[in-house]
Amino acid sequence: MKKHKSYLLLLLSSAMLISSCKEEDKPEFDRKAMLTNMASAVIIPAYQTLNASLAVLNTKALEFIANPTTTTLAELRSQYIITNKNYQRCAMYSFGPALDYGIKGAFNTFPTDSAKIEANITSGTYTLGSVANTTAIGFPAIDYLLYFGSDSEIIAKFTTDSEAANRKIYLSDLIFKMKTEFQPVLDQWNGSYQSTFIAADGNDVASSCSYLLNEFVKDIELVKNAKIGIPSGQQTGGATLPNYVEAYYSGLSTNFAYESLVGLETCFTGGSGSGLDDYIRDVESDDVTTSLADNILTQFGICKTKMDALADPLSATVNSNFTAVNEVYLELKKLVIYCKTDMTSMLGILITYQDNDGD
Amino acid sequence: MTAISRFQKIFFDWYREVPATSLAFYRILFGALMLFSTSRFLLNGWVYDFYIAPKFHFSYLGFGWIPYPNATVLYFIFSMMLVACVGIILGFFYRIAALTFFVLFTYVELLDKTTYLNHYYFVSLIALLMVFLPANRFFSLDAYYGFVPTQKTVPNWTIAVLKFQMGVVYVFAGIAKLEPDWLLHAQPLKYWLHTSHHWPLFGDLLKQDWVAYFFSWFGCLYDLLIVFFLLNVKTRNVAYVFVIIFHLTTWLLFPIGVFPWVMMAGTTIFLSVNFHEQVLNFLRVPGLRVPGLRLRSATGFKENVEKIEISATNNRTNHSHGRSKIINYLLAIYIAIQILVPFRYLLYPGNLFWTEQGFRFSWRVMLMEKTGYAEFYIVDPKTKAEWNVETENHLTRTQEKMMSTQPDMILQYAHHLHDIYQDTTIYLGDKSFTFNEPEVHAEIYVTLNGRPSQLYVAKNHNLAVLENNLSHRFWLEDFKE
Repeated sequence: MKKHKSYLLLLLSSAMLISSCKEEDKPEFDRKAMLTNMASAVIIPAYQTLNASLAVLNTKALEFIANPTTTTLAELRSQYIITNKNYQRCAMYSFGPALDYGIKGAFNTFPTDSAKIEANITSGTYTLGSVANTTAIGFPAIDYLLYFGSDSEIIAKFTTDSEAANRKIYLSDLIFKMKTEFQPVLDQWNGSYQSTFIAADGNDVASSCSYLLNEFVKDIELVKNAKIGIPSGQQTGGATLPNYVEAYYSGLSTNFAYESLVGLETCFTGGSGSGLDDYIRDVESDDVTTSLADNILTQFGICKTKMDALADPLSATVNSNFTAVNEVYLELKKLVIYCKTDMTSMLGILITYQDNDGD
Repeated sequence: MTAISRFQKIFFDWYREVPATSLAFYRILFGALMLFSTSRFLLNGWVYDFYIAPKFHFSYLGFGWIPYPNATVLYFIFSMMLVACVGIILGFFYRIAALTFFVLFTYVELLDKTTYLNHYYFVSLIALLMVFLPANRFFSLDAYYGFVPTQKTVPNWTIAVLKFQMGVVYVFAGIAKLEPDWLLHAQPLKYWLHTSHHWPLFGDLLKQDWVAYFFSWFGCLYDLLIVFFLLNVKTRNVAYVFVIIFHLTTWLLFPIGVFPWVMMAGTTIFLSVNFHEQVLNFLRVPGLRVPGLRLRSATGFKENVEKIEISATNNRTNHSHGRSKIINYLLAIYIAIQILVPFRYLLYPGNLFWTEQGFRFSWRVMLMEKTGYAEFYIVDPKTKAEWNVETENHLTRTQEKMMSTQPDMILQYAHHLHDIYQDTTIYLGDKSFTFNEPEVHAEIYVTLNGRPSQLYVAKNHNLAVLENNLSHRFWLEDFKE
């Protein structure tokens, strides 16, 4: 018995020795450290940027309403673009406070329903938070109000039109709603939610890793399906639906989609700190020739390049150059497959509390 | 005693009378565990999550006719299961209780294969056996009230068949691990150990590859051999310590819920009669001096048992011979099924993990990390309409996850989609899509045990017309190592 014990001890200690030698090649990975980095260096800064730009957007809208000219319109539009782009970099963090406040649905449900918007303006009484108005609020609604026609047509709608007063109120209501809804989301991240997020460092269904990964994958699917797939007829056997593009009126669809790819890539890398890519490298065997993390990063690169090369407005391109749109779609699909199968499988994130004997 | 004679004693001496204590002990333990497990299922809200929330149910082949209960009936069924568990524990109207539990538990399991787990199958089998075992002849209310004659001994087969069932679970789980992914690549344990937990001290240890290999090899040897150490009187106590360590470890590391407890409880059947008796003595209602509830001391019991054995051998009648013949046949059939079913996969070509033909009911536990991404398309060949289905509108997340890697579920879902979209028109913007006799196509990618994802189902097959049966599934892409 004694002999056995000493053998076991020898085995264990030699194994420890081997493992301690090995540790030097791989940087130490820690889920808590990754979550800390994601919260403090990625999510909160992105939220702060968005929050600040929403405040500016609100100011610019008030300036435009007070004095609707081509200059104030141009300023408001450029702030709208900045704010929307900032939002694209936050969209994938749709859990915790952002989920509680329903930010994703309230900020960016498209295509927007112009008839509903016009009806709301005409009546002058509406509850923007109602389910029925989901398609009459957020960035898509602002996009409609600021871009539905020529500059002079738009300014006329805000000045000489009989419903100009109502339209002004609607525009400021839209933006005020977004501004006031997002403030508490940021406040919670700056307050208690940050520590809640970091503390939930397991891999169960309610862990922060699970939220992060699931929303990340969902958002890539959103880019693939809603932003590119549906308008280009991928979901409908080639029957294109040009007015289903994001930001149909401004025609900035691919700009925003590109921005969301940039945001997703940051979500994956954790910026300059620890992120999902480091997690993958940590789990992966040492002998892999190409890391899955590199494959995903390469694929992000390809998707961004192809997206960038797409001509705006996408609503016209889906018909004029389907081949190019299709290429983007297929590359996005590869990205989804990498993330939804290989990555999900490797990181062992659970989707249910149910017992599982792995069969 | 030589090894051969011991083997004979275990496997052929099935009519020798042995103390009824073990069976009574096992009845109480099984009932208590099921009471706990069923309560846990209810308290976790799983009745709703797994049986009420889903809009579609993946029935088992040949069991599609089973009526699906509504929420009220489901909760009633679970309540009845709880009552039945109490009946089993107390040995009160035991046969009815055991039969009720077996029927209801199995019925619920048959409702949706999404929730299939080997240990649920195990529970069904044990419950089925319990219906036929005279587990209420001793230390039970049935015996106390005289509903059944008190019997201090039972035939050996009643204990042996439970040991056999445990043995089947372990040995087949061990055989299933004799494959390259498990032994040569330590997959899927390598991923699971790495990501499953983050212990302050052991966390880094679990990340080491050698730990994954150690767990894989140790787990395989444990499964293959533990039952033989449990059968040996000299080693069974040490073996049981290993049982506890092994299953507690798996319970700590993996989200396998009640399974380790089922195994730790199940293996107590191998422990000594003395131990079983001590436990029953502990449970004895003080002051009650009634046959069937009162136990003798361990030593006194042994003598008594020997006497009974002798008298039982002398008094064996033709009638009991005829009865034992029937029991022999039934046991032989049961044992044959248990041994053959796990090998049915040999009837199919291809990699078992890839095709999953013959995967269930074979004690293949913890062997696969398989994740898929499935897109389904509804196509009408006449109207040329095509539609990409959003699966989240039709299945729960758990169902979708299970479906996207399991071929029979893929077909069932495809058939379901066919029925949903038949003779329907969808309007989107200014376009409409009409489906009269829709085809259902799928493009599915799957990753298996750490391999890069590869095409699982190609888009060219019309899944709507493929029958879901036991024949080889040609429509799956070939597996690439």
